[in-house]
Amino acid sequence: MKENSLGEFEEIVMLTVAVLYENAYGISIKAEIESRLKRRVSVGAMRTALNRLEKKGFLESEFGEATAIRGGKRKRYFKVTPLGKRALDQVMDTRRQLWEAIPSVAFDFKFS
Amino acid sequence: MKKNSLIVPPSLATRFLRWFCHADLLEDIEGDLSELFCARLESNKASAKIRYWMDVVLLFRPGIIKNLIETQDSTNYAMVKNYLISAWRNLVKYKSFSVINIFSLAIGLATCFVIFLFVHDELSFDAIHKENIYRLCEIQNFEGTDTQKVALSMVGMGPTMADDFPEIEGFTRYWGFGEQRIVMDGRHEIVDQVVAVDSTFFDVFDFELLHGVLSDQPSGPYDVVVTEKLARRLFKDSNAVGKTFTMNDRDEIMMVRGVIADVPENSHLQFDMLVSIYVVGEPEDVNSRFGSNNLVTYFILNEQTNLSNLEEKFPDYLIRVTENEDINDIYTLFLQPLQDVHLASTDIQHDYHNHRKFNGLYIDVFILVGILILVIASVNFTNLTTARASYRSKEVGVRKSIGAAKKQLFQQFLIESVLLSLLALLVAVLLTMVALPSLNDLIDRELTLLTFIDNPMFIIYGLGLSLLVGLIAGLYPSVRLSSFNTIIVLKGLRLEEKKSLFQSALVVVQFSLALGMIVCTLIVLQQLTFISKKDVGFDKDHLMLVSMNSESQDHYREMKTELLKKASILGVTGSGQRLGNNFHQWGAKLKKDTAMISFTPSNVHVDFDYLEVHNIELIEGRSFDEQYTEDDGLSFIVNKALVEELGLEDPVGVKMAHSWYPDDSLGTIIGVTENFNFNSLHHKVNTLSLVVHSDWWYDEMIVKLNGENLEQGIEDVEEVYGQFVERYPLKFEFLDDHFNEMYESDKKLGYVITIIAVLAIIVGSMGLFGLSSIAVRRRIKEIGIRKVMGASFNQLLKLMSKDFALLIVISFLVATPITYFFMLNWLDNFAFRIGINPFVFLAGGVTAFLIAMFTISFHVIRAVSANPVQALRDE
Repeated sequence: MKENSLGEFEEIVMLTVAVLYENAYGISIKAEIESRLKRRVSVGAMRTALNRLEKKGFLESEFGEATAIRGGKRKRYFKVTPLGKRALDQVMDTRRQLWEAIPSVAFDFKFS
Repeated sequence: MKKNSLIVPPSLATRFLRWFCHADLLEDIEGDLSELFCARLESNKASAKIRYWMDVVLLFRPGIIKNLIETQDSTNYAMVKNYLISAWRNLVKYKSFSVINIFSLAIGLATCFVIFLFVHDELSFDAIHKENIYRLCEIQNFEGTDTQKVALSMVGMGPTMADDFPEIEGFTRYWGFGEQRIVMDGRHEIVDQVVAVDSTFFDVFDFELLHGVLSDQPSGPYDVVVTEKLARRLFKDSNAVGKTFTMNDRDEIMMVRGVIADVPENSHLQFDMLVSIYVVGEPEDVNSRFGSNNLVTYFILNEQTNLSNLEEKFPDYLIRVTENEDINDIYTLFLQPLQDVHLASTDIQHDYHNHRKFNGLYIDVFILVGILILVIASVNFTNLTTARASYRSKEVGVRKSIGAAKKQLFQQFLIESVLLSLLALLVAVLLTMVALPSLNDLIDRELTLLTFIDNPMFIIYGLGLSLLVGLIAGLYPSVRLSSFNTIIVLKGLRLEEKKSLFQSALVVVQFSLALGMIVCTLIVLQQLTFISKKDVGFDKDHLMLVSMNSESQDHYREMKTELLKKASILGVTGSGQRLGNNFHQWGAKLKKDTAMISFTPSNVHVDFDYLEVHNIELIEGRSFDEQYTEDDGLSFIVNKALVEELGLEDPVGVKMAHSWYPDDSLGTIIGVTENFNFNSLHHKVNTLSLVVHSDWWYDEMIVKLNGENLEQGIEDVEEVYGQFVERYPLKFEFLDDHFNEMYESDKKLGYVITIIAVLAIIVGSMGLFGLSSIAVRRRIKEIGIRKVMGASFNQLLKLMSKDFALLIVISFLVATPITYFFMLNWLDNFAFRIGINPFVFLAGGVTAFLIAMFTISFHVIRAVSANPVQALRDE
């Protein structure tokens, strides 16, 4: 169970990778998260998350092209695996079920 | 080139990243970082570099760092693990060796820590203040008395010198008023240390203000500043600003204007309350008082000041303010830097405001001893490790034959040695923690390991020191062991081990130190005993010194009469100053033949029966007698030193007076006393004159109790005192206690030397223990053969001990002269001292010798009494 669970940040990273589709590598993922979520992400935190997700089998990666600006180092592109997709679905399902289970009065914040 | 280098990320950071980063992740991370760096470079160059560093540092986390186990050569990891296991097994297998090994180093380290804390504490004195503060001191060269350096100056000097010399940026005077009684809300309270200062006091000294404004406090004559502790005691509130009280039954209302944090323990000035110096009079009057030296003056000097240039101008100044052409024959003014006040004032007398004054020379000695003990402990560590290593020659042989490289073996033993030294560090910290409280009690300090926590650098030093010791001490055994010849050790042949000069030298150094410390301890103890037993020329037992105050003063005569009625009280007298303190010097004059001689002896005014109560021996003339009216102010009793100094042939009857008496109304010398030690035994007996002024205040009432019933005596004094004095509690001390206190710092030095001596002996013995074990192992076969051939137990014992005995004799020869000169130097502190008895060296030598023989006997006796078959069979 624990192996398949997704943390909040991990979920964001996975979704971002999916959003970026063919262009998901370190810097682009970081920039995307920062611009969408308006929060700072350190290379260290993000890279650890990517690494962990890859180990769990939710992401896979391959080397891409190298550029001069990267000091001749290749990019590593990430892709969501089918297993990753299932994990994301599961997260969404759980959420939806929870939303649906909320009684309608629970959010009735009118002041009496 | 330059331009190019600018756009490259910080190379150190990149290298760090490459070092720790997992190989699989490195390439794209490095690329990402470099891309980010380039992007950030466009906005801000400096911050790009900083952020690159931050990113690298933030990457230093578990998921990214390469895995020690997986990535490194797996055999290497297994090897390291094996090293640790065999290190542990060896530790446990040779328990006594391990304990000695670790403890001898731990004791060395702990000693270093404590000495470090002690030295750090002493050096931290007055460090909170500015750097260019100086204390004005005088060298007084009065006629008829010894030349002395004093920490006193005249009241008028502060302001006039600050006016006259542009180099002086600020000044403050510091006039101790001692204990004072204050009245607030109808309550009487005693404040212990009241000091009068200038309003510029806080410009000169940086004591921390808690409440109020200090910029010019105390400014009005009735403004005061109190410490937080006093504020809490008197007003039950730390913020006492605005609170009022009166002092000593005067009408003026004093008001608290400021509260400062309690004076730190490492400050040479200690006070509870500061009042304005102008409580004693109007500024015009106070600032023009010259002639007598009542207080201490501090200056802040301009930073460019050339001290000797400034001091050269002092003689002219003195003539100007005192209007006396010959003043420079008597006074030489000099400035003492604040940094020297605590540690370099041993030769300064009348130094009343110098809390815990310490002889800075001892600091150097302590540091030297600390280094010596650490060196000895480290070399011990080497020796013991080597000794233990030789038990492991077979292990080395096996490791080598299955393929261990020399370098690996070297590593193994080095790692073991570093581990041991870290263990020793741990033990050292524990030892220090356990020992500090009782040590603090003994030497009256507040040393704490927290000093290390406050200064993280010290922790790094401590850790570095023990690692360094581990590395250096492990080097030699590691080299030796790793170079064993495989075949020889496996065959069980013992390697030829030569006696090393180095080891012998070590024993000599160790035992020289131990022996020297034993002798020092003996001499210090002898001197201290000598001081406490020395006949000072008066009775100091059962003398109760009752402090006088304005109230008891008025009833002195009545109290005396009442007290003398009690059976438990043998005598009552009064004195202006306490025996054991250096009496103040006052000017005096004397008619010798027809000439008038001015001179300045120590002086004290006393009650008529002073000599009788103290049992001071008169060698000529008579004592004071109430019957003669001239004995009240016009009769003088002098001591033998004065008679000799002035060359008086027939002293009794010579005309003499205080310097302020007119020449036509001189008094007479009526008696001469033996040279009793009114000052501490550090000083020789100065010239002294005693006089009675029945209308002057006494500082103390001296009550001689019957030694057989002291409690009754104290009760009687309490009762009588209570009848006459209401507002002041009875305060008293016994004279012999006071004398003991005077030698307190000497006693503490004695404790410290004793402790160091014990440690030196322990560490030295541990080293010898290791060495003798090596020696015995080396000759175990020889012993076996000799025994078979019929050598007796005693013969063998002698044979084995001979070498070590020789080394101890050499240590004796080395240590004796060094110790002799060091102790001679220490004894020079005392005007009254013992000679150095050669016997103490003999005693020290014999003690060290016996301890050494006892230590080696462990191994020797075991080897000698063992069955020779066991020694010889093994081949």
